[in-house]
Amino acid sequence: MIRLLAALLLAAAPAAAQVQGVLLDDPVEMPSFALDGTATTRFSDADLQGRWTLVMFGYNSCPDVCPFTMQNLEAAWSETSLRVRPDNIPQVVFVSVDPERDRETVADYAVFFHPDFLGVTGRQEDIDRLVEASDSFYRLMPPDSSGYYEVQHSSSVLVIAPDGTLRAKLQPPFDPGRTAEFLSMLQIQYRREMIQ
Amino acid sequence: MRSLLLAAVLSFPALAHAGDIAVTEARVALAPPGARTLAAYMVVANAGAAPRALAGVRAEGFAMAHLHHSMEKDGVAMMAAMDQIEIAPGGSVAFAPGGLHVMLMGPRKALAVGNEVVLTLIFADGAEIAVTAPVERIDAGS
Repeated sequence: MIRLLAALLLAAAPAAAQVQGVLLDDPVEMPSFALDGTATTRFSDADLQGRWTLVMFGYNSCPDVCPFTMQNLEAAWSETSLRVRPDNIPQVVFVSVDPERDRETVADYAVFFHPDFLGVTGRQEDIDRLVEASDSFYRLMPPDSSGYYEVQHSSSVLVIAPDGTLRAKLQPPFDPGRTAEFLSMLQIQYRREMIQ
Repeated sequence: MRSLLLAAVLSFPALAHAGDIAVTEARVALAPPGARTLAAYMVVANAGAAPRALAGVRAEGFAMAHLHHSMEKDGVAMMAAMDQIEIAPGGSVAFAPGGLHVMLMGPRKALAVGNEVVLTLIFADGAEIAVTAPVERIDAGS
């Protein structure tokens, strides 16, 4: 069935050089974790249930790529929102892998790109569980003479289905039309699977 | 809002010349709240007959500024500091989101749309060019 969807996606994108996402062969269970942004915004494994979720890893002291990715993701998310059923519009979550610097700013950071986006961070063990389970990656680089350090991190975005399992990863540059196409096909596939 | 911004840009074009070097489209991306690093973008063109090399940059109102290159390797986003950026005779180099950028570190105050940042580009031959870069909200695809 996954192969069939892949074939459909290829057919739907004749200019297929630009792949916007990769489907996982099998759904991957997400671990238990608890992250937060402000005192009132929390994000845990329980929040994955019953809705689609897109998770991006990054850090706030990232001047170029993170804002660029968030803007592209916002455009792709807006396009997706026009194409799918309202209850299938994904929740976008920015997870900072740099809690030391970002605890105070991460919620506002995400909202800067869209009022509905969630920005969270938390204890390293919670972040690491989510990163490891999704086969993602991050590394804090050694600080320079001013104390600034870069953070290397996965560039792909997790696509988590309403049953809480990881189904796919979106890949930059998040072309709005093609990403929306990818997500809506994935959702159709998911609904069929749920009926069977 | 966007047309207002466009009008502002048109009436104060961020254009700097020094000899054979011309800098256009200089701008600083409006940063999310609390950002300690910002990015500036521009196009640097070399109309001369000899290659030129950009070797550094200073930014008023910031503790430090570096020439940086964002890249993706094996699905991991990372940055590299650039010691020198060559500009071929008749060629140009574009600093744009997701690639080359001037990384501005340690802002002395929060910047809003409409503020300006003076950047001084330092070339390997010692030449310096000052560029005024307005702060703009940079959206995807615009």
